[in-house]
Amino acid sequence: MELLPQALVDGIMLGAIYIIIAIGFSLVYGVMHVIDFAVGEWIMLGGFAGFYLNEWTHVEPMLLLPAVFAVFAVVGYLFQPLIHRVLSGHRGNPLLMGLVFTFGLSLMFRGLAQTFFGFYSHSVPSRFSNGSFFLQEGGFSMTVSSVRLAGLLYALLITGILHYLLKHTDFGLGVRALAQNRDAAGLMGVNNKRTSAYVYGIYVGISAMTGVLIGMILSLSAKMGPDYTIFAFFVVVLAGMGYLAGVPAAAFLLGIIQSFFLIYLDPGYTLLAVFAILYTILLVSPRGLFGKGV
Amino acid sequence: MNVLEAQGISVAYGDTRVLWEISFSVKKGQLVALLGANGAGKTTTLKAICGLVRPFAGTVRYSGQVITGRPVHRVAEMGITLVPEGRQLFPKMTVEENLVAGSYLKRAKGRRKENLERAYAVFPRLAERRTQVAETLSGGEQQMVAIGRALMQAPDLIMFDEPSLGLSPLLVEEVFRVVRSLHAQGLTIFLVEQNVRQTMKLADYCYVMENGRITQEGSGRDLESDPKVREAYLGF
Repeated sequence: MELLPQALVDGIMLGAIYIIIAIGFSLVYGVMHVIDFAVGEWIMLGGFAGFYLNEWTHVEPMLLLPAVFAVFAVVGYLFQPLIHRVLSGHRGNPLLMGLVFTFGLSLMFRGLAQTFFGFYSHSVPSRFSNGSFFLQEGGFSMTVSSVRLAGLLYALLITGILHYLLKHTDFGLGVRALAQNRDAAGLMGVNNKRTSAYVYGIYVGISAMTGVLIGMILSLSAKMGPDYTIFAFFVVVLAGMGYLAGVPAAAFLLGIIQSFFLIYLDPGYTLLAVFAILYTILLVSPRGLFGKGV
Repeated sequence: MNVLEAQGISVAYGDTRVLWEISFSVKKGQLVALLGANGAGKTTTLKAICGLVRPFAGTVRYSGQVITGRPVHRVAEMGITLVPEGRQLFPKMTVEENLVAGSYLKRAKGRRKENLERAYAVFPRLAERRTQVAETLSGGEQQMVAIGRALMQAPDLIMFDEPSLGLSPLLVEEVFRVVRSLHAQGLTIFLVEQNVRQTMKLADYCYVMENGRITQEGSGRDLESDPKVREAYLGF
């Protein structure tokens, strides 16, 4: 019982990171109608980019985040036309094509990563990694690690920026228009190809940047991708496909499940629990926790 | 001068041919109507003009420039807009956001406030509902948003795809009133309708489509007295 607040707080701080991953994933699905199975690999590649950048430059990884974002945003922007081509060819079922294509990508990225980065786990050394606060209140006490707190603040910042971008700029108006009615968006003058490329760039950049953070909080390895793809999928499906407002609750739930398994049970069973919960909730409410997905 | 000119446009969806060498022209400031029954190819004709469908043959010219094969947003940039069949609003956006989406184009962005006021003046009903989510509106209100959104683009040519479809007689009257007043303001209009009788009275020139071909054309008065048209569309 003494560990309960600890588990909750840890879970919320971890969940905040999943919000970021899931929002990008959700945006790409909304605008491009692609379920990107390579999301975990973008996270992994970003994490390693941060790891090596830090090794060469010895700059605090927190400060490297914008650089990682910028590089990967450009990569994503340049990469998107390829996905667009795969989807808009005269092959049937674009949703399936997208799945197969990004699944292939994820296998390729993972294979390359294992060749170049090896099989070992790494962590990105950060000045914040060792610091922590100790809080005590009555019978309860908990340790708040500074790097996790930094992760939470980062997640809030990115969510805030994305919210502003989507709700208060013309770019965001175009993105939302595309997601809600592609033909009508075109009639309004929204450039589908260009806007999609921007969205994909932002998503890849954010995923990669989050990878660095995960490397600071947990660990990195070339084969970490699928776990995070599943997490992204879990959060988005639980929130309701395409229902962004449901993302935080689903992400916090995932974080809390994870930290409970870490503290009370065997972390090896986390994925099992994640799937069990996902199936159960989808069985009861196929359109997500709030019944507002598609 | 012809603002819009189509020559021999032919469209097929996969193996199904839907348009056979459609040709027509719209002069500046004119209200030209395209009439015909369900499935005659009217909607496809509009889609071919604004770039939502690519013809395999034929050309569409706008102000002398060939626009066939351009992507839809480039056609929109030229000042052509379509009020699509079934409204096609952004369902999760509010009324005001839908209208503002109409001024996404560079050419319209500068006059966003002014055009918004104008849209609310044309449809005072929308001003009352500006924060309501579009999918919760009635059919008539949605049609007002669709027309308002198109006007926000500050278009030079506005095309309507069956704007009166599924509306109550009172609202049909309202829609035709708006079309008439836009025409009076000098806007070039291309109107697709099934409401043949009312449209003929309004239009400067009419084309009649059947099974993917244009079968007749003439002024509304000429067509009204044509026995074949009378029999097919007016029922007497």
